Amino acid sequence: MPLTRYHFKNAVNGFFEMSREHAKRLVPDHLEPMELKHSIGVFAVTAFDFTKSEVGPYTELVMAVITPPRIAVGGEFPRSAFYPFVVGTSTQASRLHAIERWHLPHYMADIAVDFQEKDGSMVVHAHEDGRPILDLKVSAHKWTPVNHLYQAFTVDSPRRFKADIHMEGAFTEHEEESGDLVLHPHPMCEAVLSGDVASFPFRELWMRDGVQTFEELQTI
Amino acid sequence: MSSRPLRDGASGIAGVPKPDSPSADTPKATPAPPVPVTSTANDLDYSNFFWGSGKDPFDILGPFDDWFDEARPAGYYLFGQPMSSAPRPRVDVVEQLHKKELSGLINLASYNYLGLSYRPEVIEAACEAIRAYGTGASGSPILSGTTELHDELSRTLARFKNKEECLLFPSGYGANLGVIAGLMRSGDLVVTDQFAHASIVDGIILSKAQVRYFRHNNAADLERKLKDFSGRKLVIVEGVYSMDGDLANLPEIVEVAKSNGARIMIDEAHSAFLFGPNGRGVAEHFGLDDEIDIHLGTFSKSLGGQGGYVAGSQKLIRYLKGFGRSHVFSCALSPGVVGGLIKACQIARDEPELRDRLWANTAYLQELLRERGVDIGDSRSQVIPIMIRDDDRVFKVAEDMIHNGVYLNPIRYPAVGKHRSRLRISVTSTHTMPDLREAADIIARVLDRHGLLCR
Repeated sequence: MPLTRYHFKNAVNGFFEMSREHAKRLVPDHLEPMELKHSIGVFAVTAFDFTKSEVGPYTELVMAVITPPRIAVGGEFPRSAFYPFVVGTSTQASRLHAIERWHLPHYMADIAVDFQEKDGSMVVHAHEDGRPILDLKVSAHKWTPVNHLYQAFTVDSPRRFKADIHMEGAFTEHEEESGDLVLHPHPMCEAVLSGDVASFPFRELWMRDGVQTFEELQTI
Repeated sequence: MSSRPLRDGASGIAGVPKPDSPSADTPKATPAPPVPVTSTANDLDYSNFFWGSGKDPFDILGPFDDWFDEARPAGYYLFGQPMSSAPRPRVDVVEQLHKKELSGLINLASYNYLGLSYRPEVIEAACEAIRAYGTGASGSPILSGTTELHDELSRTLARFKNKEECLLFPSGYGANLGVIAGLMRSGDLVVTDQFAHASIVDGIILSKAQVRYFRHNNAADLERKLKDFSGRKLVIVEGVYSMDGDLANLPEIVEVAKSNGARIMIDEAHSAFLFGPNGRGVAEHFGLDDEIDIHLGTFSKSLGGQGGYVAGSQKLIRYLKGFGRSHVFSCALSPGVVGGLIKACQIARDEPELRDRLWANTAYLQELLRERGVDIGDSRSQVIPIMIRDDDRVFKVAEDMIHNGVYLNPIRYPAVGKHRSRLRISVTSTHTMPDLREAADIIARVLDRHGLLCR
């Protein structure tokens, strides 16, 4: 299968502390949550503003638990790994595509993700027909051109998969604890609202004018 | 692994050669290398290799080794470089990349805050103890390892700290492990500052108690973390935080802990023998010495020796003598170390002018750095961060500092947050004002060349 590319204007990401116990409940048995420190797992929110893909432009919201990456002898080092437990998109075509090709679990109604950049910060507002899902704010540090390798794990029981994903573009990240997150009572947030997710990201990441490239899905 | 080439290595850095003349005790300023660009090896760090893959625990060793081969010359070699002199205000360091001796560096990297590790009286006391008792204690403290010297050190320290009793541990790390795991149990709650030292976190892990972290020095967040828990609770803070040099917000933290029925422990590793009218620590500094239940610290910093201790009530110490496993199951401290510590503790008690000099030096260097536009964060102590806030450049800036005559430590992720990288410096009572002025000038000059001054 050829590489699958998604061009985006913005990929905005926050890493949040949550209890490891809670994170463990969100991942399948064969995965373990990454521990930021003893008993603390990591919840990640990523918002994409895709401008070009096989299924046209769309916006996407991904909620995931950070897991340890698989480091193989002879392979490139992944920066980190995600287990996405719910994905929302703005078009039906993008959902069907991602379910069929990557086995990603989706919220099956259209959602919208708005991006508003102001004074070096990006504010993301995700909603469904005006009903708020979440608000995320991150800020920029130093912009650097990068090409990072990430891994994503998915399942289609009993099958388990791993996708290697390259993220290329202008990138900034920091841990100044200056951003924030508001999770609203919406079905997409159900799995985390009951927990103890921090209201500020300990790490803020932002890539713009980039390309996300999926390598062929591997069965693990 | 596809070994990725470094965009910028550490090669071509001119060292400071050892001066030929014995009288040349200051390094010659060496032309600085060009301001570096980012290093690919620095895109990764230790955290990327914590979890292995595959079925063999050794599968991670090869990838780590490959990465470290690139990371070491890119800056990791700066950690653990051997010194060839005592930790005095000027030191000689064997630079590990080119195996060069750098002589007469101004030492801003030492915990020897009162200069006691090389005081002649301390050295003589250590030698006397070795002559009398030998080099090793040769037994656990609860079996045959305790000598009269160990008991004398416990009593001397308890008097200094104005506590009923004191218990000795093989290290500060061991003290935290022994005290926390000795006292807290599964089902209990420990709430600690998010910047708590690894030994506190490891003590909590060993205890099997539940842990919650409150935002740094934020009493309101501490309250949130305590209020819904009805079982046994312990709050742990540090007197001085070792990466930022700021103090525990003790007045508010004590109030919140007490109103929520929690016991309070303070780790005064970087503050005992320095803060407070009698040098007892930050708890005394705030007038809250008697409000704290457990006073913990180390002998390896201000007293210039080795080991750790806990001070508190007679009942607490008696219990920990039995349940502090890192005390029970380690060999007792070496008699030489103990002999030196007794003398060092006496000096710390009898020479308050050492503390006065330390605080005068600290104020002087902080003022010099601020005047020159150096960002030193929120330091309120002898531990001073020089904020770089750029993980790609911090090693190069540190390297440049060392090769221009100032010995200091680079600190980057994961020891601190991403892009909260810094150079950590510490002042001692034995630095002279000319030392500190020269150091401030070098620091400002190097930062200026890297475009890192605030003004």
